[in-house]
Amino acid sequence: MDRRKKIEDAKFFLFISPWMVGFTVFFLIPLTTAIYYAFTDARIPGAADFSFVGLDNFTALFQDRIFGKAVLNTLFFVGIGVPVVTCGMLLLALLLNADVKGIALFRTFYYLPTLVPIVATVIIWRLVFNSEFGILNAVLGTIGISKISWLGEAWSIKPVIVLLQVWISGSGVLIFLAALKGVPSHLYEAAKIDGAGAIRRFFSVTLPMISPAILFVLVIQTMYNFQMFTEALLLAEGGPNYASYTYVYDIYKTAFTELRYGMAMAQSMILFAMILAVTLVLLKSSNRFVYYEGEKRG
Amino acid sequence: MRATKKSISSSIKTYILLTGVLAIFIGPLVWMLSTMLKSKAETYRFPPTIIPEDITFGAFHRLFAVQPLMWQWIGNSVIIAVLVALGTVISSSIAAYGFARFENRYKNALFLIVLTTLMIPASVMIIPSFVLFVKLNWINTWAPLIVPAWLGGAYYIFLFRQFIMGIPLELDEATFLDGGGRWTVFQKVVLPLSKPVIITVLIFSFVYAWLDFLGPFLYLKSSEMFTLSVGLQLLIGQTGQDFPALAAGAFISILPIAVIYFFAQRFIVEGVVLTGSKG
Repeated sequence: MDRRKKIEDAKFFLFISPWMVGFTVFFLIPLTTAIYYAFTDARIPGAADFSFVGLDNFTALFQDRIFGKAVLNTLFFVGIGVPVVTCGMLLLALLLNADVKGIALFRTFYYLPTLVPIVATVIIWRLVFNSEFGILNAVLGTIGISKISWLGEAWSIKPVIVLLQVWISGSGVLIFLAALKGVPSHLYEAAKIDGAGAIRRFFSVTLPMISPAILFVLVIQTMYNFQMFTEALLLAEGGPNYASYTYVYDIYKTAFTELRYGMAMAQSMILFAMILAVTLVLLKSSNRFVYYEGEKRG
Repeated sequence: MRATKKSISSSIKTYILLTGVLAIFIGPLVWMLSTMLKSKAETYRFPPTIIPEDITFGAFHRLFAVQPLMWQWIGNSVIIAVLVALGTVISSSIAAYGFARFENRYKNALFLIVLTTLMIPASVMIIPSFVLFVKLNWINTWAPLIVPAWLGGAYYIFLFRQFIMGIPLELDEATFLDGGGRWTVFQKVVLPLSKPVIITVLIFSFVYAWLDFLGPFLYLKSSEMFTLSVGLQLLIGQTGQDFPALAAGAFISILPIAVIYFFAQRFIVEGVVLTGSKG
């Protein structure tokens, strides 16, 4: 009996061994070495000639003005970008939840941009937003607005990136749609009988019922926007004048342009701590606005 | 139910709204198609034309002439995405079977770690992983893109586990009575019954690999190793002013995903809703 149990245990670990190996090699080892490197001045990965510098990497960041700019830009994408994109997703989901013929076809096409590879997305946006020959300025020109250099102005690049996020927000829209489908129709009927109008029904029935999905999308989107990089790199190379230079962009530069790997690891650790803190605050404050069915509210 | 006047007018309003917003989502793609079929000179005209005056495929000829590696990049992307999808299905289903069907006192703790790794932001791992791949001598090879997929992805293990737990245990037991072992159960019972989730994971991981930009961008150095996405990024620098050629390049990189999407939309939608992933 005991022997049989041992064989079963061995088989269990054999079955999960792909994940055990993958987790150890591609996750545990890089993460622990990263924590170690964060306290060194290592310049080239694998080289032996680096020394321990204690907290120098972390204190140096506070004096780095460009780093400060990167943090502020990222906070814009988190503080302003996340609410805007999440509201956009919710409005789109409400629109696509309409009970009309052919709605499935609309859903198909609304989701399509989400599946466009990011480089292709950027090419398309450069074509649309091109100040001289783009279609957007042409359309705006018909109502008398003169040409705007959308990708070349510090004030416009951030909103353009947020708009791009809404364009590729199909996954969040799908999650909201699934949540909206899960709201029992008898609740709406009851609210109607009580004389609630459409707006009242939205705030008193729909919103509380889909609040778990809202929290979920908020958390995912917050994590994503903390890590905003590819869009900023490809669309504007962090510019103009550092307006789209984000936190992860700075990590990228520190590591691959300045070759300061120790410093880049330190920055990665701080990013991790920031994301963790904000996510925990979100989750912690969520029991004030998230309603789970079958749960008594205090 | 008889359609009342009021409900007709409200559904007309809905259609107007749906179509108006649709322009925002489809407009840029239409603009890409229009640009791609124009001559270079026509794209410099203002105000621009939406329907090209002379439809021409010259952009594609110029694209492949300027960048002879286009076919190679397309091939590379296909090979990498296929290997990633295969590895993901094989390794994740095996690990998921372990988590779904065995009794072990570390099982729940280990599965909790699987779920925890889902919460770790990917960009925190960019530099640590890069350093690891340098040490493994994997830079400028496809190994960093493919090997991890053969060692189980947390999302997909989770998906498979949920599905396998829904398969009745009696089927396993019947196989044991017939003298079959764990592997026989996995191969002969679990896998055949898991077809829907296998297809979901195959499609999802293929699409994901095709969409990946940052990985290939950081790990691949010489242009003949590039994937299509990284190649296109190079192309933006090379022929930045040849709008039709750029649009043609974007079109080619969208095409495989769009085809998969229109034929297997159900599986992609399922994958997104189940994992909550950013597609």
